[in-house]
Amino acid sequence: MTRRKFIQKLIGTGSAIIVGASWLINKTSPRKFLRAVRLKRYPGTIKEIGDISKQSKWSG
Amino acid sequence: MKVQCELCPKNCLIEPGQSGECRVRINIDGVLRTVVYGYPCSINIDPVEKKPLFHFLPGSPILSIATVGCNLHCENCQNWEISQANPEDGNISAYYCPPEKLVSLAKANKCPSLAYTYTDPVVYYEYTYDTAKLASEAGIRSVLVTAGYINEQPWKKLLEYVDAANIDLKGMTDDFYRQVCKATLKPVQQALILARAAGVHVEVTNLIIPTLNDGPEDIRRLARWVKVNLGGETPLHFSGFYPRYKMRNLPPTSLKTLETAREIALSEGLDYVYIGNLRSREGENTYCPGCKKLLIDRSGYTIIQNRLTNGRCPDCDKEIYGVWK
Repeated sequence: MTRRKFIQKLIGTGSAIIVGASWLINKTSPRKFLRAVRLKRYPGTIKEIGDISKQSKWSG
Repeated sequence: MKVQCELCPKNCLIEPGQSGECRVRINIDGVLRTVVYGYPCSINIDPVEKKPLFHFLPGSPILSIATVGCNLHCENCQNWEISQANPEDGNISAYYCPPEKLVSLAKANKCPSLAYTYTDPVVYYEYTYDTAKLASEAGIRSVLVTAGYINEQPWKKLLEYVDAANIDLKGMTDDFYRQVCKATLKPVQQALILARAAGVHVEVTNLIIPTLNDGPEDIRRLARWVKVNLGGETPLHFSGFYPRYKMRNLPPTSLKTLETAREIALSEGLDYVYIGNLRSREGENTYCPGCKKLLIDRSGYTIIQNRLTNGRCPDCDKEIYGVWK
């Protein structure tokens, strides 16, 4: 093997390892979110807004 | 794919189909979704004194909302039925009330401000942020009642649209926060400092729980921290504990303990120290730190007399910390 071929092979193999490792890291690391996206449909039960003039029973 | 919620210091790593610790931020197909946006479980008009805010538009009504969920799990939570509930639980219903509707409700009911309270506005961050922004454009002020357990970046962004905040400082040790609240102390202290630095009107609440944080040294340490980091003019509210949720084995806080705490905080140089959840004549009123005369006479949440003149003591002309009009 000539020196040129050896270097070409080394660069090719190295690049493949870097691309593969980046793909794996990207695939396994979580996506980070600061702001969540609104979910349109509420999973619980919905009621009509009634008399809001009374003080809340909750603390605060 | 897993997602990481970077809203609060818990930085929950959430598996697909699962929620974070707050129960209301869910990973759906690799995207973080808030399920409570526009769906409060409580909408009521309270007196602003109930938050408690004693130096912010006294005697005014405040439209107060909450969704279910909380990023803390305090064993003594007074509102655990909603704070520790899942949105899909059948026993807690929600209203459909997008930000525009909230602002119009506040206007229609002549409320000069809107409070994000009862659970913790941190977990319904996007709903709070959008409503506060809209409210600010409509001339309605926004108030947060929070444990202040939030990361710096989202907190700073939210504070741009916040006028006042009552932030709990639940204890002065990390052990207390870890054991009682499943949280940590440092981010709360940082949130308090940042809120004050952002020009937000800040009042602090400390719930005194017998045997856990009621020692004179605990109180002194807390009062000193408030004075050094937030300023002696910051109103401090000592609230009485009632046995609730997972902490039914401890007795309620006595009035004497609260009065002693108030005396300690005053002796440490805080100007305005109040007592809450138990009736106390002196602990409900505002006195001038200059001439010691009575400025605001309160009975529970009712203002009996407000002697302030343009935010100043009518007797010695001292400027009183607060938002008065």
